[in-house]
Amino acid sequence: MNKVFNINLGGYPFTIDEDAYERLSNYLTTIHNHFRDSEGYEEITGDIEARMAELFQDQLNGRPIVTNKDVQNAIAIMGTPEDFGAEPINERVFEEEEKDKIRYKTGKRLFRNSEDEVVGGVCSGLSAYFGIQDPVWLRIAWIIFTISGGIGIPIYIILWIIIPKAETAGDRLSMRGETINVSNIGKIIEEEIDSFSEKMENFGNEFDFSSKKKELERLDLNLNEAVELETPLRKGFHC
Amino acid sequence: MRKGVLELCILSIISEGEAYPSDIINKLKEAELIVVEGTLYPLLTRLKNANLLHYTWKESTSGPPRKYFHITEQGKEFLNGLLGTWNQLVHAVSESTKNYQQQ
Repeated sequence: MNKVFNINLGGYPFTIDEDAYERLSNYLTTIHNHFRDSEGYEEITGDIEARMAELFQDQLNGRPIVTNKDVQNAIAIMGTPEDFGAEPINERVFEEEEKDKIRYKTGKRLFRNSEDEVVGGVCSGLSAYFGIQDPVWLRIAWIIFTISGGIGIPIYIILWIIIPKAETAGDRLSMRGETINVSNIGKIIEEEIDSFSEKMENFGNEFDFSSKKKELERLDLNLNEAVELETPLRKGFHC
Repeated sequence: MRKGVLELCILSIISEGEAYPSDIINKLKEAELIVVEGTLYPLLTRLKNANLLHYTWKESTSGPPRKYFHITEQGKEFLNGLLGTWNQLVHAVSESTKNYQQQ
């Protein structure tokens, strides 16, 4: 059993299987991308779509539904952009895409990790940035450094102020140096939902609402101040 | 090189009379010049934009109107020029290779 879609291809109506629809739509997207910068882009793609429609009509021959095989056959006849070869992809666009890729690769940025924080999330943010598996090692090192007469506390406070908090799913991905794409963002959001429900549970278990309410309000106020402070410093901190 | 040859062939097919893209494709396929149809559409559009071809819409029995291509006066001149160059090239190549025995 298969879900079907109704589509209009080059002026013909078609009923098409779901998997066949996916394939066709991917193919047409690559065609559109290929000719995007060519002279007469709309005309070329329009002609190709009309021709695909004709090929389907011929192949269907009275059958009601376009299947994956029909789409495969039509693509084999029309050819993929690599087969065309006639119109090379515009170099300028290609270069821009390359640049984008490079930016993604070096896209790791330093954030405070609010998902996993003991004080301000500085240690876990730094761990994510330098690829340390468990932030607890960095925390221990920090504490030892502070106790042994170092200036751990002031440095922590400065970092707390200047490092922006990872607020969006995209921030959290760049914190870990992962590429921002739909599936990764989906993953992050799932994680967030899990950790949010966990937090709510802990909150319910640990806190006595009435006595802690004032304290919470005060904390909230402090947080707002911190956010105000850090905004002007955020610019120029794109590592 | 091959690109110019394709244009020459397309123009001469169309110069025989009005032509529908799939007719052109069938002829080119017979001649084993192109393998996939997608190659043809950008070429036709380019030739049309250079005023070497023009097209008219014709009603079709099954579905939306179809584009039929014709050659223009300018296209004919261009075709003659191309054919001249082509014949020169064929002559030059056959002259230079005639003494070579294929092994």
